[in-house]
Amino acid sequence: MDALSRLSELGLQPSPNSTGLQQLDIAVEHWLERAGQLKAAGWYLFDVIGLDYLHYPVPQAERFVVSYNLYHLADNVRVFVRVALADGQAVTSVYSVWKAANYLEREVYDLLGITFSNHPDLRKILTPEDLEGYPLRKDFDLGETPTRFNEGRYLDPAAFRAGLSGQQAGLTGWRGGERTSGGSGQTASVPPTLDTFVANVKKEKGNL
Amino acid sequence: MSQITPDTNSTSLLHTEDMVLNVGPQHPSTHGVLRLVLHMDGEFITKVQPHMGYLHTGFEKTMENRTYQQNMTYAPRTDYLHSFGHELAYVLSVEKLVGAEVPERAEMVRVILHELGRIHSHLVFVGTGLLDLGALTLLFYAFREKETVQDLFEAVCGYRMNQGYFRVGGLSRDIPADWPQQVRSFVQDFELKVDEYQAMFLKNPIFLERTKGVGLLSAEQALDMGITGPNLRASGIALDHRKANPYSGYQKFRFEVPTTKNGDTYDRFWVRLEEMRQSARIIQQALDLLQPGPVKDPSRKISLPPREELETSMEAVIHHFKLVTEGFHPPLGEVYVPVESARGEVGYYIISDGGSMPYRVKIRAPSFINLQSLETAGINGQFADLIAVLASIDPVLGDVDR
Repeated sequence: MDALSRLSELGLQPSPNSTGLQQLDIAVEHWLERAGQLKAAGWYLFDVIGLDYLHYPVPQAERFVVSYNLYHLADNVRVFVRVALADGQAVTSVYSVWKAANYLEREVYDLLGITFSNHPDLRKILTPEDLEGYPLRKDFDLGETPTRFNEGRYLDPAAFRAGLSGQQAGLTGWRGGERTSGGSGQTASVPPTLDTFVANVKKEKGNL
Repeated sequence: MSQITPDTNSTSLLHTEDMVLNVGPQHPSTHGVLRLVLHMDGEFITKVQPHMGYLHTGFEKTMENRTYQQNMTYAPRTDYLHSFGHELAYVLSVEKLVGAEVPERAEMVRVILHELGRIHSHLVFVGTGLLDLGALTLLFYAFREKETVQDLFEAVCGYRMNQGYFRVGGLSRDIPADWPQQVRSFVQDFELKVDEYQAMFLKNPIFLERTKGVGLLSAEQALDMGITGPNLRASGIALDHRKANPYSGYQKFRFEVPTTKNGDTYDRFWVRLEEMRQSARIIQQALDLLQPGPVKDPSRKISLPPREELETSMEAVIHHFKLVTEGFHPPLGEVYVPVESARGEVGYYIISDGGSMPYRVKIRAPSFINLQSLETAGINGQFADLIAVLASIDPVLGDVDR
């Protein structure tokens, strides 16, 4: 853990998370300067990870985090530098420090809509030119259609999955490890028909 | 048309305008759907701009909306030539998140398949790579062994590609009784096959002319661009996560990390051929260590109960139902376990929100990052050199676009 402990010379204190990943929070305004220092200390950029904490159960200071996966070759240690960003806030590109940032930052820009200032060539990289929106944002719809059954019943894929995710009691009432609702005394909720679903969507989003 | 102005600085008498040449997206040498926009000054390339995304299907978004077990469908499809690399990276990350314990037999089988997958990928690389250089013969020899490897995959799980054989906590089922013997008979004379490949092209003057000193990538350049895997090792950096951060029992094996200094196309071919020998070595050691035993984590909260138990135990039926409909719920946390695939460092950065589906999955796709080197290594040569360089970088477009 040499290179990790040497980070304290720069005034940086990484701390392990629950699975042992070394993480380091750096404020967005200091990031470029810190990146230069980290590069000089022998850290190389291996990945840029854009994260959207919009629906995360644990409240975060900012909606977005850009996590930089840095690797130290001599000591074989890794640290994830996390830069927290509000919606619409830009982060300085580290292309001038590590050339690896070129495609990696373009990917985060393309899929999450995080802007990297001073990037030499900030264009879309994976999605089609005419795709609107940023697919990996949590509020980007999957664009699925409900599965229809007879008598107007249907299965809304998003609601079905929300039940599975443990955030809501779904079809089976299972909340991930503990049962919260007793079987008796609770009225089974009847799913709305497709007509009411379409009416609700129209009310929310205007005509389809 | 812009006016041609005489270039007073140029020493050449004849100065021409740069030409923009479009290669692909459907082009046999791109090994997939990749479009390259080249700026050419006469015969020489001055700028390469790769345009990718033709295979982008949003694996990461899809994986956020599927249970951890369902995602075993997507992991191998990312890199279809070394599927087991992605499978292993995915299951290792999830296992760390849920705290699953993998039995030793499962670990050894995983290592054998991981290395067979590396041989499979490198065989396709050497066959098609030389095909791009106009050497047709080796393709047939390499694909002869590739078919054998795929037969071994098929024997173990029924699929020749995109296997999805690993499970969180082990393997989906035990290997057939005679499978270790089949693998052994394949690997014990595999080094001779590698000798055969090398004899076929490594001293060929045309091959040497087209690869020596072509597509140079220095160690510093490669590291700066985040290149990993054989491409980095061809540039003289011996970074191999099997040695540096051993996973799945790799610390038990004795093998070498082939490294060369020049960082040219020739070295990238050479490194991969030597890696196949090392993979065969590892497989033989893993076969020796293969002991009978369970292949799944015994915890009923993670792995499915055995089929026979479903007949007699109500509890087993409940566990089976819960695991199939919802799957397990890992605790809150973020995890990343790197794996050395045939293309470099593969890792799945997974965030759990306590639900049965990952909150976020970020795939570190080595092909995507390695492709950045084309903008450096691909220029200043002729067009034919670019084809050789692209082949030697060995991108899998499924891995690039995800």
